[in-house]
Order: sequence, then structure tokens, then C-alpha cells
Amino acid sequence: MQTVIAWATRNRTTLVLLGAVLVVAYVFYYARQDIAPSMFGAAWDYAIPLVLAALVGVIGERSGVVNIGIEGQMLLAAFAGFFAAALSGSMLVGILAGVGTGLLAGGFLAVTAVRWRMDQIIAGVVLNIIATGLTSFYLQSGQILPGVIPNLRVPVLAEIPLIGETFFSGRSWVATVAIILAVGVHLALFHTRWGLRTRAVGEYPSAADTAGIDVERLRMVNVTLAGSLAGLAGVYLSMDASSSFERGMTAGRGFLALAIMIMGAWRPLRAFAMALFFGFVNAVGSQLQQTGGVTIPPQLLGTLPYVATLVVLAVAAGRVRPPGAVGQPYVKKDQ
Amino acid sequence: MKSTRYLVAAPAALALALAGCGGSTGTSGGDSSASGSADSGAPTDDSNCADEDVFCIGLVTDTGKVDDKSFNQSAHEGAIAAAEELGGFYKYVETQDPKDYAPNMAQFTNKSYDVVVTVGFLMTEATATAAEGSPETKFIGIDQFFDPEAVTATNLTGILFPEDQAGYGAGYLAGLMTKTNKLGQVLGQEIPPVQKFAKGFENGAKAANPDVQVSTVYHPAGDNAFNDPVWGAGEAKKMLAQKADIIFGAGGNTGNGALQEVAKASGAGDSIFCIGVDTDQWDTVPAAQPCLVTSAMKLITEGVTETIKTAQSGEFEGLTTMGKAGLAPYHDFESTIPDDVKTRVEDITQQMEAGTLETGVSL
Repeated sequence: MQTVIAWATRNRTTLVLLGAVLVVAYVFYYARQDIAPSMFGAAWDYAIPLVLAALVGVIGERSGVVNIGIEGQMLLAAFAGFFAAALSGSMLVGILAGVGTGLLAGGFLAVTAVRWRMDQIIAGVVLNIIATGLTSFYLQSGQILPGVIPNLRVPVLAEIPLIGETFFSGRSWVATVAIILAVGVHLALFHTRWGLRTRAVGEYPSAADTAGIDVERLRMVNVTLAGSLAGLAGVYLSMDASSSFERGMTAGRGFLALAIMIMGAWRPLRAFAMALFFGFVNAVGSQLQQTGGVTIPPQLLGTLPYVATLVVLAVAAGRVRPPGAVGQPYVKKDQ
Repeated sequence: MKSTRYLVAAPAALALALAGCGGSTGTSGGDSSASGSADSGAPTDDSNCADEDVFCIGLVTDTGKVDDKSFNQSAHEGAIAAAEELGGFYKYVETQDPKDYAPNMAQFTNKSYDVVVTVGFLMTEATATAAEGSPETKFIGIDQFFDPEAVTATNLTGILFPEDQAGYGAGYLAGLMTKTNKLGQVLGQEIPPVQKFAKGFENGAKAANPDVQVSTVYHPAGDNAFNDPVWGAGEAKKMLAQKADIIFGAGGNTGNGALQEVAKASGAGDSIFCIGVDTDQWDTVPAAQPCLVTSAMKLITEGVTETIKTAQSGEFEGLTTMGKAGLAPYHDFESTIPDDVKTRVEDITQQMEAGTLETGVSL
């Protein structure tokens, strides 16, 4: 009991904020049954790939590696997943191919930026350019998916009004996996030995090295494995959220995810909340346009999420601090 | 210090990445779809386009691609058909960045191409400027309106399509078929050709069914407004959740995303339908077939071929050439759509063609 109280005292700002958001959300939900459920749904749909991609960024930067290539990783995976599924006739093969491609793309960044100590920004940009080139060159039009990724209804949880409807039913299992991953990465990062080591490697690699942690190996493993999450995000984009692969279809979501990672202060659950917030602002923008009434040009409404980002960054994220060793390759001093 | 470096580096890298995408401008689509090779004497390259006997056609796309299954592809096919018929040479360039409209056109004018086709409303100004600078080349601008008071050149014409009529017909059909009295439109960028489709659709729907509500969303971002299927699908999903039962997807790949989402919805083809745009999307977007009742078509291919032929044989009629627009066949939904609905849609289509019915769309 005392630990619970201590925990609540420590996190009181977060809890108060969370409570306030929930109250507002439920009031809106019951007041506008005609539009609110679909808006929350649209917000979460929009947020799913951003959550996954932001987790890629969080894992990378917490280990000290900037991943500007998330966009390219997602694009490659979206491409591989879609065409593997279309050509093999099996959605499962497509999903595995997509996630596998994400791993490979993660491995590419790991080898270039960690093993070869290439400038991390440049390695990421190279990845993006390769992804754009390869996927445009090998694109074939006229392919269609053999099926759909099945929906998952989580028993019991799906019955909760608003939350169950939005997060636990009516969406494919990729959405559920994204929630599990956000919680899982949070727990792993802050409550396991792997997490402690990862954070040490990202904050102060020479100290971690002195303590006997193989900095390079841990960074390699983390960056590579994080690639599979980008792979899942790509699979979601081309095989679930839409049913086709188009050139450049990631449309900047990988960069958006980096912004969300910063807004979320390099913490998985906060990034999750920020992605949702972003999705909701987006849904409000399109709803305002859709119902008419207000005659605001769509271009202006389209800036709403970005204006909101600026405000949040200025107000809330002024205090955020990136991991200490982010962007720096680690070179053992005695070599 | 470290964080400062990071904050500078991230946007710089973003800029670099984007520049990287645009850097290959003009060459990525450079593989020539040379046509008419079976034709004896048809040119196989553009080295002697300046020659009187050699007829060269160049095409510059908007930021879309020639395989976009809608707008650019139709123009591309029209140019290929013209090159085949006339025994000419054809080459296209895909624009990666709006800044490159002029250099892309210059690739053709520098080699004295006879005809340059520019695809899309957004290239209007660039086309007019290029036409002034290259009087020897004839320019055909699709979806481009040249104001006779502002443009003095005579070596150009803009093909305009009555999108509002195609939209009106589609809207009329949707208005008669809807059970929930709610329709949705998922659109690309807010530019005149798209607006004409959208307003025509809305007016047509209301003419058929005064109780109908039409929800309209335009893609808010400029650069990828016609290439964001995920956004299109998300908007369609939201509209379906708000009880719309027919969705009009008009905006390249963005609209295609909406069509494909509707095709996945439960009840697609029975109680939920979608309507495509620009071409007969039954053929171009097979994944949309479960819900696709028809498409609001612009006969771009035909318009481009005919106008290129005019350009070869002499002068353009004027700064504006009118193309045609209409509804695509119903395909598998022939039997789903009640006969009286088909008759009424047929009637208003004929009235629009005869000029006795106005769509009431003005921009």
C-alpha cells in the first residue's frame, strides 16, 4: 500500500493529467455519440504506425544511436511485406517478410553506424535514399493482397466503453501488438537489467564499458532488433491501414515519429500518449473540414497537428533532455 | 552542446533526405517508351527532333507517376497512342518536385520536340512561360486554363474537362442509391479539377435526394496530397463509422486508399459502395472491385491523343480545348443497381450533354 502511495505521489502530475484527459474524453464520448467514437478510432488508427516507429527511435537513442532512417526502414518493410504477400498468396508470408526486412534494415544501420562508426545521421539518410530508390525501381502495379490481417477482439477489455471500443476491438492484431510493445518496452527499459545497461550505454558509454558492458555489441543488438518494430509499422501501412504499396507511402511518418519521441521525452508510454494526441488533433482537423460549418481552408486545418506539436514542445517538452551519448560512436580509449 | 548538435542535425538530415528524393529529378522516368518501332521509319531516339519529318512528343508529369492508375497514366497512354498512330517518338519525364517543372520541360524544348504535354493544373504557369520561350514547340496542358488576356502565345492549348458533369452524374447515382442518406468524399488536394468533381458530386446527390448529407475532406498537405493511401483509407473508415454508405474517392492514390478501405468493410457491395475517379478504376484498382459501382471519368487518354493529332496537323483551335467526361460502366453491379435508377442517371447524363441541365458548379 505504501509503495502505491509513494508511486502515486511521485507521478502525481502525470496521474492528474491522465485523469483530466479521461474525464474530457468520456464527456465528449457520451455527448457526441454520432461522431466521437469514430474520431477516437481515427486517432488511434493514425497513431499506430507512429507508436511503433517512435519505439524504434526510443530504443535506438536510449542506446546512443540516432535513427533518422526509420522512414526508410518502414518503406522497405511496407514494400517487402506487400509484394511477398501478393506474390506468395499468403498474408503470413508477407508479414514475416516485412518484419524480416525491418530487421535487415535495422542491421544495416547497426553495421554502418555502430560497427563502422559512420556518422549516424548520414547512415540514416543513406538508408532513406536506398529505400526510396529500391522501392520505386522494383514497384509493380496491379498487385493485390490475398486477404486481410484478421481483427482481434480482446475479451473483457473490449467491453469497456470508449477504451474497449477504440483499443481492443474492431482493429487488427497489429494494433494490439503495438499497445503490448509500448508497455513492454517501457517495463524492459526501466525495470530490467537489459534496460539499465541500455540506458547506461546511451548516457555514459565509457562508464558502462568500465563496468564490463560490451557497448558496441549491445548497441548492435538493440538497433537491429528495433528494426523489426519499424518492419511491423511498415507492414501495418501497406497491408492493414491501406491495401496497396505506393511510392513514398510512408509520407514522412518516420520523421513525425522522431518528433513524437522527443515530445515523449524518450519514454515509450509518453511517446504513446503523444502519438495518440497527434492522431486526435488530426481527427479533429478532418472532422472540422468534414462537417463544414466552419469555413477554414483545409491547408490551414492541416497545420493543426504541427501547431499543436510546437505548442506542446514549447510548453511541456522544454525540460526534456536527450540521452547523453546520443549520436556519438563509442571508441574504446585504449585502442 | 550535445543536444544542440542533435537538434541541428535532425532537421538537416531531414532536408538532406528530402533533397535526396528530389535530386534524381527528371531522370528517373527517363526510360523512353519508344513506340511505333514496328513502323518503318519511326524514330528511335530524339537526336533529330528538329528535323521536319521527325515528330517528337514529350510528356512531363505532375509530381505523380505515369503508373499512378489514374490521372498521369491516362495522359501517358494518350501520348503513347498518338505516337503510335502518327509514327512519332515519345518520351516522358516524371516530376519529383514542383521546382523542376521548368527544367523538365526544357529537356524537351532544348531538343526541339514538336509537342510537349504537361499534366496537371499545378503546371499552368510553368507551361505558359515555357510556351512563350519556345515558339517552335506546341504545348498541351491538361487541366490548365490559359487566360486569353494574360497569355499571348498561340502555340499552346489547355484541355479542360467538365469534371462537374462526371461528378454530378456520380453524385446523382449515389443520391438515388444511399440508404442512410449520408455520402462521403475523400479527396486529394483542393485544386479546381478536384473541386469541380466534388461540388458536382454534392449538387448531383442533392438534386437526386434533397435529404442527403455529403461529408467532404480534402487532403491537407500539399506535397503528397495525391499519394497518401493510408490517410485516404483512414478518412474513409471514419466516414463509414459515421454511417456514410457510399464513398467517392477522388485524388490519385489517396482516393484509391479510400476505395480499397471501403472494399474491405463489411457489407461492401451489398449496402456499402464506392465510386472511383478519372479513369475506369474497375480496371486500374482491382482491389476496389468489391464496392466499385462506377467511376467519374475524364476521357483524358482520348483528349490527349486527339489534341496531339491536331497539333501535328496544324494550329490549335484556341487556348482552350474541351475534353469529355462521363460515368464508367457499372461492370458487376449492372444487376445490383435498380433499372429505374439507371434510367434516371442516363436521362440526366443526356441532358447535361445536350446542355439543358446545368450542374450549378462555379468556382
